Amino acid sequence: MKITEFQEQLFIADFEAGFTDMELYFERTEKFQCGLHQGEVDSYVTSETLGVTFRGLFKDKMGYSFTEHLDAESLTFLILQARENAEVNEDESQETLFSGSEHYHIQDFYAEQLNELSIPDKLNILRDIEKSLYQIDHRVLSTDMLVLESSSTERGIINTKGLNLHDRNNHMVVVVSAIAQQDSQIKSAYVIHFTQDPEALIPEVIANQAVKEVVSQFNPQNAESNNYAIVLRSDAAASLLHVYSTIFSAENTQAGNSLLKDSVGEIIAAPIIQVVDDPFLANGLYSRTFDSEGTATELRSIITDGKLITLLHNRKTAEKDKTVTTGHAYKSSYKDSVGVSPTNMYIVPSESSREDLIASVQEGMLITQLSGLHSGASTVSGDFSFAAKGFYIKDGVVAYPVNQLTIAGNFYDFLKTVDQIGSDLEFSSEGHGYVGSPSLLIRQLVVTVDS
Amino acid sequence: MKCAFHAAQAFSGTSTIDLIPLKKELAQILHPISMYPRDVEKKRKIDFLKKASEYAQNYHSSIQQVYVRYVDAEQQVLIANSEGKYIEDTRVRSRFVIQSIAAEDNKLQAGFYAPGSSKGFEFLEHLDLQHYAHEASRIAVTMLNASPCPSGKFPVIIDNEFGGVLFHEACGHGLEASAVAKNNSVFANRIGEKVASDIVTYIDDGTLPNEWGSINIDDEGEHSRKNILIENGILKGYLIDKLNGRRMDAESTGSSRRESYRFAPTSRMTNTYIAPGKSTREDIISNTENGIYAKYMGGGQVDPATGDYNFAIMEAYLVKDGKLGKPVRGATLIGNGPTTIKHIDMIGNNLSHGAGMCGASSGSIPVNVGQPMLRVSEITVGGSEGGN
Repeated sequence: MKITEFQEQLFIADFEAGFTDMELYFERTEKFQCGLHQGEVDSYVTSETLGVTFRGLFKDKMGYSFTEHLDAESLTFLILQARENAEVNEDESQETLFSGSEHYHIQDFYAEQLNELSIPDKLNILRDIEKSLYQIDHRVLSTDMLVLESSSTERGIINTKGLNLHDRNNHMVVVVSAIAQQDSQIKSAYVIHFTQDPEALIPEVIANQAVKEVVSQFNPQNAESNNYAIVLRSDAAASLLHVYSTIFSAENTQAGNSLLKDSVGEIIAAPIIQVVDDPFLANGLYSRTFDSEGTATELRSIITDGKLITLLHNRKTAEKDKTVTTGHAYKSSYKDSVGVSPTNMYIVPSESSREDLIASVQEGMLITQLSGLHSGASTVSGDFSFAAKGFYIKDGVVAYPVNQLTIAGNFYDFLKTVDQIGSDLEFSSEGHGYVGSPSLLIRQLVVTVDS
Repeated sequence: MKCAFHAAQAFSGTSTIDLIPLKKELAQILHPISMYPRDVEKKRKIDFLKKASEYAQNYHSSIQQVYVRYVDAEQQVLIANSEGKYIEDTRVRSRFVIQSIAAEDNKLQAGFYAPGSSKGFEFLEHLDLQHYAHEASRIAVTMLNASPCPSGKFPVIIDNEFGGVLFHEACGHGLEASAVAKNNSVFANRIGEKVASDIVTYIDDGTLPNEWGSINIDDEGEHSRKNILIENGILKGYLIDKLNGRRMDAESTGSSRRESYRFAPTSRMTNTYIAPGKSTREDIISNTENGIYAKYMGGGQVDPATGDYNFAIMEAYLVKDGKLGKPVRGATLIGNGPTTIKHIDMIGNNLSHGAGMCGASSGSIPVNVGQPMLRVSEITVGGSEGGN
């Protein structure tokens, strides 16, 4: 059955079943993924999914149901499940359906040139990367992951309040995790490249970056466990900000899960910090013209000169806080109920290069990778303690790699002690939203070295 | 058809396979279900959650928020392949999740507990809700008044149950054929070698009755079994799926798993645990002069190529002169898996299992991690209070 035909039949049947307001959300995802290991295709997946979520008001309570089958049997299933779920829903602040924003930004985030890339072309990209990896440095031993994934997503919302929205987005990502050996030392490192432009994906450049990242770790030295000034490289800074991006969600402040409750208008960060959320960012993984409830998205300042300008809201959280939605309603798949997520949110870069930041450090650490991000971070208290890869900085120069270490601190203090911001914006894609940061110079964090 | 066409583009050259006629097999039911979740009214499930929430809320005045969640799932699988395998199974799982948040003077701390089982509604019905609710709240309240954890090298006592997550990450992943077959594991090509201290026996067993990580058959239709991975410190075996088994010239160990039809299966863990030893809880603590006691572990991760891991401790205490001391917060353990298992110097007799979700290339799957209380003679602890 076609999606429009299914929707029409569903709304008629639901009306008869006693639903008042009704909404159908659909998501069609096409994915292709291939992996290579020592010349051989190691993994290969193609998939196409169309999923729909129905939600409707039954006796003033919202009930949800979803399916991947667009057939007559599913009509009955969706109605019965949504009705049963509405009946057990005890949430006091009920969601309502939306009739639409006044104005929607018009932009297509779909890159045709990506669609034109054939499967053999994609495999060749991986083959070229792999060849380069082993050519560039004889210490490269293996790859743990050499994967290319392309995906496109089409979303739509149709409801009985007159909303009828539709948009699409596509991307390609290459992940390279290289393993290298020197004497008895084994090191690994990974690089991730997102793009919408296949021309911008140069296999040699990616291979080079991965090799440089892994071999730079050989012959680590010990360093004293101490408090150090930290240069947090852009990709590591982005991953840290990403983990803590949840504290900006009004869902979390309202649930008592974030200390930013009642902080709008307060200084929460160093005055040099500007954070924006840009739903129209070119190549942005979360670029969109409307959110999961159908609200028009807008470019917004989240932090200006260190001051918190707004939290991220959907319609339900906005109502609770007596404000208006910021267009951050989000569901990670059609199956999810509506939550809150940033779109493309980042710390605005400055003019200083990463080298400038390092040059201003007398003694400190350059941190290039954080791991254990979710387990090591309490988004509730702000405390964090992460395993990290890093280098010792002496007199403004990166001196040598250091054994595995941890950095510990508190994110709320961290925001206030950012002393310099770099120009090298990088994004993190692990989690909800696409969250970015340039390299940051932090006054002081506790560093423990595994000696 | 479009997908099949795309799939065919991966192959080059010509080869054909001989199809063997399918022979239907019945999966042996190792984990019987008495109440299918779909037959239970939603309201009954919700009533349990409300009760749990009340227990947690009433535990202490500083409890500000309680989340309770209940998930049940029924997964039907059918596996047919060109070797003639044709088998079906139904998997039922239930899990109860509770998080308490304690607040005081602009400080927030969370406590968490999430038991799970391969059972139907009987799981929730027989669950000691008060115990789990009180534990979640107790952890949050305890951590509210905890001091920052000191950093440095310490003997670390890890308690039983979910404590096993450390060895799941630090050793279990390195024993999966997906890493071993590509030589991307520190344990590759080392069968018969001593890889752990003599008192360590490490087992993966998908047949433990109704445990969270248990399966009747794996996702290639192979029956689940008990696999001894390390015995008295000697490496005995790996967790092997058919594809990697071909690369390694080894038989499947019934360890091929995937989240759903959307993922290709690969070698994964089921219920993995360190076998019990002889020490009592009291022996271990009273023999520790200056250490850290990890009562409940948080999550963590490992780099399988190097074995380097990191873990958060959810509830930790100092141990001084053989006695438990004050609670400490913000502790992370870092180290190297293959080194850490050599440094296990005491193993308790109180084996128990904890439920978790494990994410990897074949998706997110339920697994149990388990161990008795044990002690590692030295691990680097990264806390926010510098210097030891």
